[in-house]
Amino acid sequence: MRVKTFFNRVGSFIVTKEIFKDKKSLRTLYKYFLVGLLVRFIFIPFFFERDLLSTYQRAAETIYTGNLGLDNLQFLTNMIHSAYLFIIKSIFPAINQMSNILLEKDTWISWLSFNSSYNIFTVLTLFKILYLIFDIVCMFLILRFSFDNEPEKKLRVFKFWIFNPIIIFVLYIFARHDIIGVFATLIALMLAKKDRKYWAILTLALGIVLRFFPILILPLIVVYLVRTKKDYILLPLAGVSGLAVVEILFRLYFGKSVILPLLRTQHFEYLLSPRLDLVAGSHGGIFIFIAVYIFIILSFIHIKKKSFDILLNYCAITYLAFLGICFFHPQYMIWVVPFLIIIFVRRRSLLYYHWIQFVLLMILLIYWGDLVTKYVFAPIDHKYFVYLTGIIPIIERFYDSAKFVNIFRSIFTGVSLWMIYLIYKDNKKILAGELKNRGN
Amino acid sequence: MKRISFTAKIIVLVFLAALILLLLAGCREFFYIPGASYGYYIWEEDSSIFVEWSVDRKDTKFDGRILTEGKITGYDLREWEEENDVIKVGEDKINFSATLGSKDYSDGFSFNVQDYTYLEFDLKINDGYDLSRINVGGFLENPENNIFRIEKDYFSQLKMKHWYQKHPFSEFFSKLFSNKYFTFIYLFILGIIVIEILRVTILTRRRKKIVWVTISYTSLILIEICIYFILKFLVR
Repeated sequence: MRVKTFFNRVGSFIVTKEIFKDKKSLRTLYKYFLVGLLVRFIFIPFFFERDLLSTYQRAAETIYTGNLGLDNLQFLTNMIHSAYLFIIKSIFPAINQMSNILLEKDTWISWLSFNSSYNIFTVLTLFKILYLIFDIVCMFLILRFSFDNEPEKKLRVFKFWIFNPIIIFVLYIFARHDIIGVFATLIALMLAKKDRKYWAILTLALGIVLRFFPILILPLIVVYLVRTKKDYILLPLAGVSGLAVVEILFRLYFGKSVILPLLRTQHFEYLLSPRLDLVAGSHGGIFIFIAVYIFIILSFIHIKKKSFDILLNYCAITYLAFLGICFFHPQYMIWVVPFLIIIFVRRRSLLYYHWIQFVLLMILLIYWGDLVTKYVFAPIDHKYFVYLTGIIPIIERFYDSAKFVNIFRSIFTGVSLWMIYLIYKDNKKILAGELKNRGN
Repeated sequence: MKRISFTAKIIVLVFLAALILLLLAGCREFFYIPGASYGYYIWEEDSSIFVEWSVDRKDTKFDGRILTEGKITGYDLREWEEENDVIKVGEDKINFSATLGSKDYSDGFSFNVQDYTYLEFDLKINDGYDLSRINVGGFLENPENNIFRIEKDYFSQLKMKHWYQKHPFSEFFSKLFSNKYFTFIYLFILGIIVIEILRVTILTRRRKKIVWVTISYTSLILIEICIYFILKFLVR
């Protein structure tokens, strides 16, 4: 009896009480989970983008040579990969056989050797299992965000996550580690929902250290969580505490700064790059994203009844504005997914626009050339994909490839802005519903 | 009806895209896209030997010579620009030098040769050798030496090569076979997931579910054994 109770508790903890109690929903969830897992496993061993190798090369530097300070911008991410690499290298000999390649300094030679090694499929699978673990945790975490006591809607949220093309592409084809930062952000939002304001902000601070992007939603969560005047000071400070701690540690141990290089990195530059010159040739200009961002924050501040669903909608709006206005790397699109999938349940049309975004993203990949297009398939046969005619020369044959991509980039922006409008309409619907409930 | 018409549109679009690519390749036996593909392309068609080259619209020099102990009986030029490109055809050799650029996508020639047992090629790109860019009879059918020979029956022998002996399949199957433990564990995991999906869908309402599950796992093991022999055959 005790064992049964224990397993019931574990089951409820994983899939939420509502789904666990409803056998039909539980079976459907299991079915979705299996199909999603199958899709993920099909992609795991065969594809990757060069950055995955770089990530594990930095981790290999840490565990084989003890060099901790290689990746000071993503120090914590490197620590997680190092710990994981240490574990898998102790269990699987295939990883140790790769040590020379992982420690090779020449990026081209290491990439070629990695792709031509006979056990590349094993190693790629092991490398990506880390992301699969975080992906699985996130898919169950997200069940708790919305639609309490509505198991069917929760199931739809689960379905939208598990079959999300961006998630599958970024984690299992492109193989980027953003899911670790997404995980920290989701935990922070969970805590925010439960009104654990300091824990929520501190966890988000951790997310910011893992990956810069949660900083975009920090003001929204702060505004959502503030209850007293003191909170207006303490919560933002807690939000940047993660960066402050890493900065102090690096100053003490390595005599280097983290924040100053961060301000000079692409991540930050991308936010400032779209600008509107007020007078041609003068210094006067407006950073478009900053202006839009302030507009979004002010709009959120002025909502009197800030529900958790409204917060999630504003997070989606923020990331969509970033994707719509700024230059971004393909993996950055994963940041908007957790928020969008909840809105899909209320507004199905957004799902179709999201698929359009995905198709457009596949065209935008041309921006980055061979490295993110044909080289992604290199593990299958690197020689074939290196010498295969790339998509850029084919486009260049007829039309300017930059113009070609920018046409699709503009469509992408249009779609993203339209999605923001639809979410704005969803906000109004939520607020109207809440007002009605209050009236009743 | 709506769905069918949408599917039909997609099929038509895909077909048109394929057609455009074929037209670009000029319906040749060897598929490459002039002005986008990069390298030499050599093949045999109607007992003529074709030598063509293309580059992705960058200024590039292609020059070389072809020798034989037979007799060259005729030749034809393709997209030849007299002002940039030079060719000298003798009884048993051809010397050529040509340049491509942003508006000149590809050049080439074909020739007929009689009473020969071999053809010797010395092909350069920008005064250097890049053997991976010389495709003889098929994509990535590269020579091993800078100056290389092909026998008379080279092209007909190449045609006998099966799809699984060519890139990228040959390399893919070779990696799967040389890493057997991974391949079988991986396929087994995929199999388990598929069986589980079947168990919670199709098999739910069947009687004697355990029998079906046992049959499924037995089939999985048999499939794994078959795959082992198939891979062994493909990479032999």
